[in-house]
Amino acid sequence: MSILEALVLATILFGFFGIILKKNLIMKILSMDVMSTGVIGYFVLVASQRGLFTPIANQKEAVAYADPVPQAVILTAIVIGFSIQALMLVGVMKLSRDTPTLEVSEIEKHYTP
Amino acid sequence: MSSITLIWIALPFFVGFSIYLLPKLDRWLAIAIPLLSFGYGLQRIFDPFPLDLALLDNFGVTLSSDTLSGYFILTNAIVTAAVLLYCWQSSKSAFFYTQMCILHGSVNAVFICADLISLYVALEIIGVAAFLLIAYPRTDRSIWVGLRYLFVSNTAMLFYLLGALLVYQTTHSFAFAGVGQAPPEAVALIFLGLLTKGGIFVSGLWLPLTHSESETPVSAMLSGVVVKTGVFPLVRFALLIPELDPIVRLFGVGTALLGVGYAIWEKDSKRMLAFHTVSQLGFILAAPEVGGFYALTHGLVKSALFLIAGNLPSRNLKELQQIPLSMPLWVALAIASFSISGFPLLSGFGAKVLTMKALVPWQVVGMNLAALGTTISFAKFIFLPRGGKESLKSSFWLPILLLLGSLVIANGFYIDAYTLTNIVKPLVTIGIGWLVYWGIIRRVSFKLPRVIEQLEHLIGVMSLMLSLLFWMVLA
Repeated sequence: MSILEALVLATILFGFFGIILKKNLIMKILSMDVMSTGVIGYFVLVASQRGLFTPIANQKEAVAYADPVPQAVILTAIVIGFSIQALMLVGVMKLSRDTPTLEVSEIEKHYTP
Repeated sequence: MSSITLIWIALPFFVGFSIYLLPKLDRWLAIAIPLLSFGYGLQRIFDPFPLDLALLDNFGVTLSSDTLSGYFILTNAIVTAAVLLYCWQSSKSAFFYTQMCILHGSVNAVFICADLISLYVALEIIGVAAFLLIAYPRTDRSIWVGLRYLFVSNTAMLFYLLGALLVYQTTHSFAFAGVGQAPPEAVALIFLGLLTKGGIFVSGLWLPLTHSESETPVSAMLSGVVVKTGVFPLVRFALLIPELDPIVRLFGVGTALLGVGYAIWEKDSKRMLAFHTVSQLGFILAAPEVGGFYALTHGLVKSALFLIAGNLPSRNLKELQQIPLSMPLWVALAIASFSISGFPLLSGFGAKVLTMKALVPWQVVGMNLAALGTTISFAKFIFLPRGGKESLKSSFWLPILLLLGSLVIANGFYIDAYTLTNIVKPLVTIGIGWLVYWGIIRRVSFKLPRVIEQLEHLIGVMSLMLSLLFWMVLA
């Protein structure tokens, strides 16, 4: 396992711990973003295992291309991820009017029967 | 057939957005979609040949639609139609109907997709559309309930995505079949995502709050079809890859018992129904090869029950024992409760018989206990007092008639169930269930703690489930 792979996995793990340990809702959402950055990084890493060149097939001599499939896939996931992030932040904005501290334990006390 | 499939899968999204442009036609456009799915679903059930499609070359989207998909699509069609009819007279905006169409379309997409990435995209769209429907009343509480759902499901989907990548790394393809050759950690990550999304076992404990605090039609939709999007891929994996079959079956038994264990003690009608969703999903997973039919009957009965429960005079079962219900409402409630308990003449009976027959020996005790628990907690509904006078509007009866009527007609899918021994067994189970209800449950009040339903615990449980899954796959 390369150092890069270890670092990417650490990013994912840190994001996950952030979701659990942070008390504030905004911080939780940001931690989720860190985690998804880690996942995106892992896709890019796997794509570049066979080569680093941009996969455009018009170069004269054969070079080691990066695998285009994971990159194409992660593009979709990035778009979905950021739209969900935006949607959640809008929800948080609405919630912050009544619970300005945005502490999850407070919100749960308010809104769970 | 392939072009029909493509048109059918794309149409809900086009219609969904057209509703926004033609708000005057919203309900009429929306109802056309489930009607189309109904026809398509029936065709798939009776067509013996599965249809496999690969769009755009090697790494494109792959679809596969067979009898199993047919049952799930039919469930989706009937439940969506019933929910739309229920909302017909209410003043829901075009936005609501747009989201309903998009939700219906993406749920359909899950039921025919055959690769991990199409599944991921469809599941995420479902998450967004379900969030928007839950938060439709725009109250702070509904926004929080929706946000909590989106948070849990999105975190689970990140794990899923990681698993999908590991499958690609080993097999150089995202096809479902590749999961069989993938390393155990990949399988564990994918299963974690699907179990959480499908509301199964402890990772499914987000479900009771979400389903019970949503509006009545949205609860019906969520419990009737949306959770089945997490279950369907698991059933597919179990059928496709024999090594995963015991794991799926074990989770089936586990979640069936866990859900029932909570539901028996529950005093809130909507929460009880939500816990029964957790439990009934277990019946689908416990016997994957016949899961489609069980999913159909469960979808019909659970959405009917949620629609009825939304029109009861109170949510608290203790209070309901003091208020007499009007006779027609009680009859509808009793029919639905009898079906889910497995009483003959209703298709819940056929589905239970079929599932019980397909169990492997070690599952039998657990699943029979779960069936007994189901009859105990639905005795709470059946023995509610009758004789009240309030009348309900026609927009309530049309969807209920549709759902309960389909429950009777669906008997036709498995008419061989009607043998003497098969008929006696559920009657005995219901009898014992009622005895336990009158002897114990009605007298004892016992409140289970809700700590584990807090957001942090729901996320934390994912790490425990992940290691559990890893060792299960490795073993």
